[in-house]
Amino acid sequence: MVYKRIIYALLYSKGFFHLSRNFRLQQVGNVEWLKNNFGFGETCDYIDELIITLTTPNPDKKEIANYFEDIKKLKEKIFVPITLGGGIRTLEQAKNCFTNGADKILINYLAHNNMETINKISDIYGEQAITLMVDYKKIGGNNYSFINSAEKKSISLKDYFNSLKNLKFGDLIINSIQKDGSGQGLDADCLNDFLYDLKKPILLMGGAGKPEHFVSILKNEKISGLVTANLFNFLGTGLELARSYSIEKGIRLIKFSQ
Amino acid sequence: MSKKKVAIIDAGFGNISSVNNAIKHLGFDFDIITTTSNLNTHTHLILPGVGSFNKASKKLKSLGWFDAIKDFSKKSKPFLGICLGMQLMFESGDEHGDGEGLGFFKGKCEKFSQQNKYPLPHVGFNLVKHSETNIWKNIPSPSPFYFVHSYRISNIKDEAIISKTFYGEDFIAFIEKKKIFGAQFHPEKSHNVGLKLLKNFIDQN
Repeated sequence: MVYKRIIYALLYSKGFFHLSRNFRLQQVGNVEWLKNNFGFGETCDYIDELIITLTTPNPDKKEIANYFEDIKKLKEKIFVPITLGGGIRTLEQAKNCFTNGADKILINYLAHNNMETINKISDIYGEQAITLMVDYKKIGGNNYSFINSAEKKSISLKDYFNSLKNLKFGDLIINSIQKDGSGQGLDADCLNDFLYDLKKPILLMGGAGKPEHFVSILKNEKISGLVTANLFNFLGTGLELARSYSIEKGIRLIKFSQ
Repeated sequence: MSKKKVAIIDAGFGNISSVNNAIKHLGFDFDIITTTSNLNTHTHLILPGVGSFNKASKKLKSLGWFDAIKDFSKKSKPFLGICLGMQLMFESGDEHGDGEGLGFFKGKCEKFSQQNKYPLPHVGFNLVKHSETNIWKNIPSPSPFYFVHSYRISNIKDEAIISKTFYGEDFIAFIEKKKIFGAQFHPEKSHNVGLKLLKNFIDQN
């Protein structure tokens, strides 16, 4: 069977986890705070995967070392697949993520600039180890991909999707900058920009705020999963409820027994 | 019975930190071993791994791991292969050219059938309908485990006990014979049931 996935994403920068709203970050708490205050371990009992993104632009060595150190603390008691990334430009940086506990890495910038490097990483670690993420905005009725933390407009989403045909990767996450942090629901219309059948798992991100949003997105046959980074809506029992509600409404999700 | 001590092979392919964390979390003694010496003090052996069958088998063989693993297993000590580690227990695999496996089980590791309509690689949780043997103690059947793979073993000519999973076709999710265990899925990334399975493995004497 193919089961749908619910993935939780944490945004990390300078020792803290953040909330994001339209890509503007708001500092929330450090790793101890996350481990102790919001039942993070319990939340992880109800997710299929965890993503931890380093959001600092151009991070220096010290920042990267701190990121890996905090991940080490966080993943001691978490037994789900983990995706790491943010700012990966080279094969060396990708390797660094794998040796620091990544099951998969998150790639954004490279898909716009250096697909050869992505294929090189894929040849070593396998296609399944690469998750692409594309951030996009709707401008005047058309979708455009953005890079550098949504600061720079790149190509149209249609062109982006078309460019993926010969790329070796596993999952594709399509992230709406305008829906990011809004909690008002996700945008599945972006899928119309596909002019062909990708045949890879497609996940949507940006805008999940309540259990109904999970159902309306996950019932779409073209969508394999949903990613949410909403710290407050879904820590505690939020994701547990969203998951059981979705299963109740007929969404094919794995029911994890505790 | 002397104290249990697990050896986790780090042959340089894939991320083994989740396996380490899981064994640590379960409270067992373990060593990460990068050379074949010093295996005498260990009671259990785990071969984790992701990557290509052919490349991994060549590397393991050239570093002396094939002999070391066979010697360990001859002493009737429990051995667990995870994902690629499980695939390597078979006779051969055809990922990136033909490669030779450990040959504990008769069978070949091949890519999922071209007729399979499901996307590849097979990534995510899927249900394992298990064999109810001792290693599955206290684990409901079916239970969800995390898979990441494009290659699989579908048929065997072996007396081993197998547990299957369906992904467009039936394939072997778990295999066991005497003290040799192979998991196509990742118990170390499969929530509490995965931890239970690892504990049950270490409980084997």
